[in-house]
Amino acid sequence: MKRERETPAVAGRLPRRALMQGVAAGSVASIMAAAGRPAAAADAGPYPQHPKWKFVFVNHVTANPFFVPCQYGIQDACALLGCDYQWTGSETSDVAQMVNAMNTAIAGKADAVAVCLVDPKGFERPVEAALAAGIPVFSYNADSRSTKRLAYIGQDLFLSGQMMGERIVKLVGSGKVAIFIATPGQLNLQPRYDGAADAIKKSGADIQLSMIATAPAANESLSKIDAYYLGNQDVKGMFGTGGGDTQNCGLISRKYNLAAKGVHAGGYDMLPRSLEAVRDGFLDFVIDQQPYLQGFYTVMEMFAWKVSGGLVGPADIDTGLKFVTKDSVGPLLETKTRYEGSAKDPQILPHSGPIAG
Amino acid sequence: MAEGAAGTTLTSRAFGLLLRPEASVVVVSVALVLYFQFANAYFVSTANVQTLSQFVAAPVIIACGEIMLLICREIDLSVGQVFALAPFLMENINDVGVPEPLAIVAALAVCALIGLMIGLITIGLRVPSFITTLGMLFLITGLTLTISRGYPANTAGGPVLTGIMGAWAYSEIVWALAIVAVMHVLLRHTRWGLHTVAIGGNLLAAAEAGIAINRIKIGNFVLTSTLGGLTGLLEAFRVGSIDPLAGGSNIMFLGVASGVIGGTAIAGGAGTIIGGLVGGIMLGILQDGFTLQGINAFTFDIVIGAAILIAMIANIHLARLRGGGPQ
Repeated sequence: MKRERETPAVAGRLPRRALMQGVAAGSVASIMAAAGRPAAAADAGPYPQHPKWKFVFVNHVTANPFFVPCQYGIQDACALLGCDYQWTGSETSDVAQMVNAMNTAIAGKADAVAVCLVDPKGFERPVEAALAAGIPVFSYNADSRSTKRLAYIGQDLFLSGQMMGERIVKLVGSGKVAIFIATPGQLNLQPRYDGAADAIKKSGADIQLSMIATAPAANESLSKIDAYYLGNQDVKGMFGTGGGDTQNCGLISRKYNLAAKGVHAGGYDMLPRSLEAVRDGFLDFVIDQQPYLQGFYTVMEMFAWKVSGGLVGPADIDTGLKFVTKDSVGPLLETKTRYEGSAKDPQILPHSGPIAG
Repeated sequence: MAEGAAGTTLTSRAFGLLLRPEASVVVVSVALVLYFQFANAYFVSTANVQTLSQFVAAPVIIACGEIMLLICREIDLSVGQVFALAPFLMENINDVGVPEPLAIVAALAVCALIGLMIGLITIGLRVPSFITTLGMLFLITGLTLTISRGYPANTAGGPVLTGIMGAWAYSEIVWALAIVAVMHVLLRHTRWGLHTVAIGGNLLAAAEAGIAINRIKIGNFVLTSTLGGLTGLLEAFRVGSIDPLAGGSNIMFLGVASGVIGGTAIAGGAGTIIGGLVGGIMLGILQDGFTLQGINAFTFDIVIGAAILIAMIANIHLARLRGGGPQ
């Protein structure tokens, strides 16, 4: 019968079709992945010819706007030195995903790895494995002393917390203060709170401090801070430990006109809404940790290590702690630069006049 | 024209294998392995096979439970949260003085109870499982954050226990393969599995045939939550740190995706555990391979999404050729 004769013909086509579709899938994927293929050798100024080293950056919030200038810093340093980079990790501070990304980098024999050590113990094994495989490991943005990384490039988080604590004492004097933290316990934020609490306690001021957990996503954290204020309208200060929370403190201060009511606010990082809040008086200060440098200097350290075979030792770099207040926020708002992450094009910004201390 | 005699048996058996739903996924996976090995010499290396096995293990174990539920036309959205809760339960129970192995068993028992609760609400109160587990998702997230105070914690236990429970590089994949073997036998060779498929295929007929529908469904919910908790424990021991932000909807979707890519119908009634395994392997190859390639995080999601779509389109067209899909 016709139907029976068709069956073997159909079955005969199957393996070929499956194979062709598999090849099609692979080739389409390869076209898309072609962008990430590094070149063979690179020419890097005064240094002799070297292969285009691949530096892998493992991050805990790969899609967070705070790290956009960090990525620009990495790109610029890599372009300068003839190297290549990969930006990977987790979008949701998932430590297991970051560990997977690190292990893949080690298996792929990356030339150097940088990782935000947001967990006190979670990265110990992968870092040891990387070092055992001869891959230098640096930490940036967040650090853990118990993990055997070669150097840390970023802000001294505990110290920055202490400085914020001292400023809180100066601004608020006495009363109820809330400090918001998106992911308690994680090492990119917790030391800031700990530093602030430490400074406030040491000052002996009559401040009732609360640590309020919000959320890694900015919109969720806004609702939580709003709810906190409505339930605690006698609060004298609302401060954030991260970019999102700080921005949201500024928005809530603006919403309820808290500055006029004598409520102080401030925090970290220079998201556009935060800078506007500083200009308009709703935030007393924001602290810049210079993410561009966290990317740029890390690549520099990796390159120096590679080019000298590890003889030029890695060193901790404090990318700084700058208080931005109403007096200094002007230029930051007027310019949109690659160094702040707000623009993509390379620029040179001229400076004139004396440099304020 | 009649088929030949003994000479064509081997060929027809080979064709028979290729006609199976999982075959297309295996073919695509092999093509991907060849591609990635060509693109990066380290893809097939001991270190990377280890890493790949760790990418694959967790979604596969979760898939084993979700596939049973999908077959009988239910789903569990909260398994990723049970994944995060279980290690904290174990840590808290251990803190009050219970030795680690017992603490692990106790944590799994609590996960089973959560599954029982989900099953009772879904079956007893007639709430669609999508909604029940959606509510449980938020409930368990809050429970985890409350128990943990939002702080990560350390895993405890001697080297042998932690090694078995995930710290040894290959322990997770060994667990995954063992669970796949057990679940495969459960689904294909026991009455439980047969009844699960029957319920998914035709609920009314199954009821008429005297199958204990409620017991089977509730049992599958218990199974899924327990497997979710076990996966969470394995991942916590592997990383060495218990994280309140671990797992979540991401791992649940990866588990469901592994099952669906491997041939389990989203609407229910059909599916295989082996399909979940090969689907999980394919997803793991994609994730590991592209990370090894050096794809940056932003383009990574584009590439993975496109690759999954292409693989599924290939799968569905092959199903049509088999005569299994819509004509």
